[in-house]
Amino acid sequence: VAEATRPAGVAIAAPPVAVRVRRGASIGARALFILAVLAILFGPLVILVLFSFNDSTILSFPWAGFTTRWYRQAFEDPQLRTALWNSIVVSFAVAPLCLVIGTLAAFGLTRFRFRGRGAVAGLVGAPLVLPWLVIGIAALLAYRHRWVDLDLGLGTVIATQLICTFPLVTAIVAAQLFRFDRLQEEAAIDLGCSRLQVLRYVILPHIAPAVAAGAIFAFTWSFNNFEISFFTIGFQQTFPIWVYSTVRDSEHLPVVNAISTVISIVQVLLIWGALKLMRARGGASAPGVDVGPVRGAA
Amino acid sequence: MAAVQATAAPGRPRRRTRGGAFAILFAPVSLLLVLFLVPMLLMFQVSTLVDPFDPSSGSTFQHFANVLTDPLNRTIAITTFLIATTAMVLMLAIAIPLASFMVFRAGRWELPLLLALVVADELNPVVRIWAWRMILGRQGIVNWLLQTTGITDAPVEWLIFTPFAVVVVLSAGYLTYTTIPIYAAMKAIDPALFEASVDLGAGWWTRTRKILIPLAAPGIFVAMILVYVPMLTDFVSPDLVAGTGSTMMGQRVTQLILEGADWGNGSALTFVLLVATILLSVVAYRLARLNRIQT
Repeated sequence: VAEATRPAGVAIAAPPVAVRVRRGASIGARALFILAVLAILFGPLVILVLFSFNDSTILSFPWAGFTTRWYRQAFEDPQLRTALWNSIVVSFAVAPLCLVIGTLAAFGLTRFRFRGRGAVAGLVGAPLVLPWLVIGIAALLAYRHRWVDLDLGLGTVIATQLICTFPLVTAIVAAQLFRFDRLQEEAAIDLGCSRLQVLRYVILPHIAPAVAAGAIFAFTWSFNNFEISFFTIGFQQTFPIWVYSTVRDSEHLPVVNAISTVISIVQVLLIWGALKLMRARGGASAPGVDVGPVRGAA
Repeated sequence: MAAVQATAAPGRPRRRTRGGAFAILFAPVSLLLVLFLVPMLLMFQVSTLVDPFDPSSGSTFQHFANVLTDPLNRTIAITTFLIATTAMVLMLAIAIPLASFMVFRAGRWELPLLLALVVADELNPVVRIWAWRMILGRQGIVNWLLQTTGITDAPVEWLIFTPFAVVVVLSAGYLTYTTIPIYAAMKAIDPALFEASVDLGAGWWTRTRKILIPLAAPGIFVAMILVYVPMLTDFVSPDLVAGTGSTMMGQRVTQLILEGADWGNGSALTFVLLVATILLSVVAYRLARLNRIQT
């Protein structure tokens, strides 16, 4: 929680214009509201960390004592290790592919006027709006269809996650390209730049923060994805599927807490650092990057 | 990469432009056609087969008739609708004040709060639901607090494995995606409007009703597309925290397809869900567009 409320470096947004409005709610009530929101957002994470060090298989208060044995057990569990490895393979395949395909689609949709552009935009946006459950089931039925008959595995997971995730990159990058003043490109060409130089020195630096944001979101979407993997993986497991089946079997629940703590902390640190890095590099455009995915999806 | 370079030069002749668009969009569009559209069509085909595992068995609409007349499906649809709607209302009740606080009041805390929303969303959804089970459980932290402070003598039973738990878990899980579109919409509101309304004697409720909500409406509708539709099909949340009495649509479909291997009825029900979510999204999208034009 402390992490979330720390003022984050550069204050980019201008302080809001002082509104001469007397609010019904007092400052205290407002602080309480924000604290409650932060508790909802980060409470689960805090609980995970607390119980991962609790020396008892029963997950209840008060604490039974400090232990690190769940962490040791987590790292010795072969099934968990395979699931984690599968998740890593999938997201390291999906994220770069999404980056390339998603950026291509963003360029195509923002830089060209052509007949059927609306249809293409709709097709690219559809996987963001339609539920993953439906996409996953359709993929499962298609892969196992007698006319197709593919073996389920990491390959089918990667393929299906790819088409669900690259539209997110497209949305983020397209939002940035929309804001980009094309006069800058024309100016560069007037000054004698080749097309390659325009791309390298004008366009890429401008969209770099958005592309980086897209990469991070694509990676975490892929790593965290449950529905698509669940339906298209066959008999293997990814990390979210391992969690799902382990908490249902209830044999060694504290191990789930231990490994989830490790992964969540790594994820939070990764995205925290990446966002900070992007703000440092991207300057004033960074706040737009944060709201990019959702705004673009509209 | 060659295709990307071609886009860099502005004012290309029309013919070149069309070729460039084709080259650059070929990969994304063909991937979507093969891996997204074709599976949807195959799913529809499976739902109309007499034997769902044999494409040559002839077609029928029996599966659709089955799933649409099954009273169990109707009960599940109503449960799902009630749970998702309650969660949506609860989330809007949190997200609208939160977004308004971030835009107009938070000052230097605005970006940290935005980052907190984004970072919190990175927690794995399955892990998050599991953590809520430890919070709401019979021996969880809420019950422990209630008992140690003497508010209750025995553990409160309805905190977990009830529709209440599902509503809590769904609202907590989708809060980020509800708040951010509303935040983006409110960001465009000119604070001078509030000053003017105060000068004209408007109170807090009038300002919220006449300025804040109408101008934030496009964001609210976008949030509904992004959040309401996935909640209607969520099956991990009800699976892990709902009791046996409140099965949701996502669970029903998953059971039919995976556990029952009932591809006929399963694919028909999934297709019905698909049509329902498309209709919902189109309506919400139209409303968002409509509001954007008006304001």
